Amino acid sequence: METFHAIVGHHSDEAVHDRLHELEHAGRVVTLVVPTKELGRRRFKATGSDGLEYGIALPRDQELRDGSVLLFEADRAVVVEAEEGETLLLRPTGLEGAIQLGWHAGHLHWRVRMEGDTMTVLLDAPREEYEVRIASWLESGAIEVVG
Amino acid sequence: MTTLTPSPAASAASTSGGAVATARIGIGGPVGSGKTALVERLVPALAALGKTASVITNDLVTAEDAERIRRSGVIDPARVLAVEAGACPHTVIREDPTLNIEAADELEALFPGTDVILIESGGDNLASTFSDDLVDYWLFVIDVAGGGDIPRKRGPGVIRSDLLIVNKTDLAPYVGVDLELMLAEASEVRGGRAVLATDCRSNSGVDAVARMLVDEVLF
Repeated sequence: METFHAIVGHHSDEAVHDRLHELEHAGRVVTLVVPTKELGRRRFKATGSDGLEYGIALPRDQELRDGSVLLFEADRAVVVEAEEGETLLLRPTGLEGAIQLGWHAGHLHWRVRMEGDTMTVLLDAPREEYEVRIASWLESGAIEVVG
Repeated sequence: MTTLTPSPAASAASTSGGAVATARIGIGGPVGSGKTALVERLVPALAALGKTASVITNDLVTAEDAERIRRSGVIDPARVLAVEAGACPHTVIREDPTLNIEAADELEALFPGTDVILIESGGDNLASTFSDDLVDYWLFVIDVAGGGDIPRKRGPGVIRSDLLIVNKTDLAPYVGVDLELMLAEASEVRGGRAVLATDCRSNSGVDAVARMLVDEVLF
């Protein structure tokens, strides 16, 4: 199994962008699809677009993101593609809902990101298991599901 | 901006990049489930597979588990560090794992080339999880005597851990637990992700745990 021990660049880097594009057209770029929730990991195995299994074992000061380049050779490259997992979009309709949603997300250690007035929850379990935790505020309308 | 120059065509080498960092594996679970016993068994099991280990233990306000492992004879006592959490055990493995990160950095500096640092959490409830900043992979240990219904109660530790260990399998007949059902329910709530059964007291099932760690993390 081929193992990568460092991120060597990003697909948007000027130094690699054009050549990477050429390699892609030549079918010489292997893509490793990694779920967004796994990007914080530094040591794991992933299956490439070529069907082969690869190892990733990064230093602790490096973190994967969409487009991370793990290998860049004259005739071959390996690039990470982040795959968004299932999400639950919640929006408070007022102050009470905002306070309750913020408290529950923190208390329950949900993985979230904020976009304007909407909270995107990255799901580790079926969405019903998240909704039941805030059921009374969903029923009262203090919080609404928007996606 | 990173400056890149294509390296020579692929060589026979199977790796790329710099020095390999020591892997860090977390071990969490309720009080008395057998985390320390698993560590005592895992160290020699990993050694038998050619993997060297250091250990960090977490206790509330003592170094009890560290002292136990140091006295066990399975590891150089200097390779065992204790972190006294002083608060809820999950705080120092999830919310702010700084104390454990510093301890792991210290062990890594003292013993370069070590394959893995095992980080044992203090005993907690079913909700404890590890930060990705602290560990590369984590196990959650529950035990048969804690009740056959533990998997059904779910909880982030049971659900999200990379590997769930059901320990003290030898006690099943004495505490009225249907072990096969417990294991099946554990597998079901985890969506088929890994579940292994152990009896650390008699060293049963530990080799399978060690092999899985080598396969999944210590490659």
